[in-house]
Amino acid sequence: MNPLLTFLVVLIGLYGLSTSKNIIKSVFCVTITEAGVILLFLNLGNLEGGSIPIFAEGLVNIVDPLPQALMITTIVIGSTVTALALMLCIKIFHHYGSVEWDVVLRDGGEE
Amino acid sequence: MIEITAYALQILLIIIAIAIVVHKNNGTIIILITSFSLVTASLYVINNAPDVAIAEVAIGSAIIPLIYVISISRQREFIVLDRAMDDFIRKTFDKEGDGYRLLRDFSEYYKLELNISNDPELCNYDPDKDQVICEKTNVDLIIQKDEKTGEYLLKGKDSSVLMHKLEELASNYPNIKVVRFKDGEFGD
Amino acid sequence: MVSSVIKHGFLILLLLFLFGVFYFTMEELDIMYDTFAKRYYLLNGLEDTASMNLVTGIYLDYRLFDSIFEAGILLIAVSGIIWISKHDIEEHNVHFMLDKFKTPDLFVMFARVVYPLMLVFGFYIIVNGHLSPGGGFQGGAIVATAILILYYIDPNKDTSTSFILSIEKIVFIIIVVFAMLSIFTKGTMFTNPFTSSDAGVQTIYLVLMNVLIGVKVALGLWAIFTAFLREGR
Repeated sequence: MNPLLTFLVVLIGLYGLSTSKNIIKSVFCVTITEAGVILLFLNLGNLEGGSIPIFAEGLVNIVDPLPQALMITTIVIGSTVTALALMLCIKIFHHYGSVEWDVVLRDGGEE
Repeated sequence: MIEITAYALQILLIIIAIAIVVHKNNGTIIILITSFSLVTASLYVINNAPDVAIAEVAIGSAIIPLIYVISISRQREFIVLDRAMDDFIRKTFDKEGDGYRLLRDFSEYYKLELNISNDPELCNYDPDKDQVICEKTNVDLIIQKDEKTGEYLLKGKDSSVLMHKLEELASNYPNIKVVRFKDGEFGD
Repeated sequence: MVSSVIKHGFLILLLLFLFGVFYFTMEELDIMYDTFAKRYYLLNGLEDTASMNLVTGIYLDYRLFDSIFEAGILLIAVSGIIWISKHDIEEHNVHFMLDKFKTPDLFVMFARVVYPLMLVFGFYIIVNGHLSPGGGFQGGAIVATAILILYYIDPNKDTSTSFILSIEKIVFIIIVVFAMLSIFTKGTMFTNPFTSSDAGVQTIYLVLMNVLIGVKVALGLWAIFTAFLREGR
């Protein structure tokens, strides 16, 4: 496992977020970035090795359990936030008739 | 061995992420994002985090693809409420109605999928409140026949880009008139 | 054309800069890396929380305050989705997409077999959260996926989202009150209210809290995909 390779996933997500022309594509890129950040947290907790953080006979070294406890909630919350963003996309399509950033920004600016 | 697997999975993850960013078709991306979440789940297990992997598999296998599929399929739809109830938007074996031709050109131009509804509850709703229907339900266009002049009225929201194009196309037909509702006349 | 190339160039330079910052941070990680918390959890975790699974122990005992607010964010996001997707004129959308759509019979048969198994598995994950990998958040998601199968069997099925949401609000209030009970027994909020040092008694709290959080997450996700499926019809 290499944290640098994991950070590359975050950067790819950020690149997609800033260049995508479609709103739904942006939501996809947010999902990628989020997965990269979660993986990075777990990666840093696992840096010095260890076993699964569940008590058993003869346990001497565990991975850091704190990032894992935070990341579980992040995954569940992240899915609901994605759902909220997609519901807004549906409403934007009904209002403007398009989900391209160019069209929505141009028409939104006129008002 | 586990090290090599981890590196291989990480490189696979990067390849899938680049594919998602580069791809143009949103439908294909749904399959890619599902495989992306499976690869991340296996990487969580390699990082000694089975709790997180269970959460990722449970969320990423069914719920996330479902909401993406629905929100993408909604973008190809254009819902028309047909109140005229005559041959205007129907195609019979010997002749095509004007509205049928207009809407066919329009949906081919934007690659939309037309859904024509005769829902009786909405059809019998007060015609003066068409704007309320457009804003509060997901109907995009209402077709109505003006009894006095014989003109067909196409009603839709002013803010929609699609309505501008429809008005442009409709200028070729003398008996079709496009009505656009202004934003915000109906109270918030 | 030229301006877009310049924009992409600046963007890639910025991302390279971020990558460089991260690279040099990783170089000095040995100085910053601290295993004190890890060793503390390993030595005192079982005694303090009575949970075999340290992750469950952390989000139900040491950091219960965080978990409560994360459950609150879930509630707010679900309320937002329901509010945005609301239509004022009754709840009838236009129902003709259903005519085209029919679930294959084989899939319906298979789903009927799988549905109770998934429900039991989800409940097992919730109840057994303090002993094996699992807990309220994961089990709730599995239970929600099992409920989703019902909608594949019968596409006409519809549930009142506002009813689900009001149950979820009640469950959230119960969670907050239950977490604050420890002020009467121990003098501090947001920890295990049982003072007995017996592990069996303390486990009651862990299982109850896991079940409450599981019910809340399952209801929240259920409300979300009901709103989306209603939009998709």
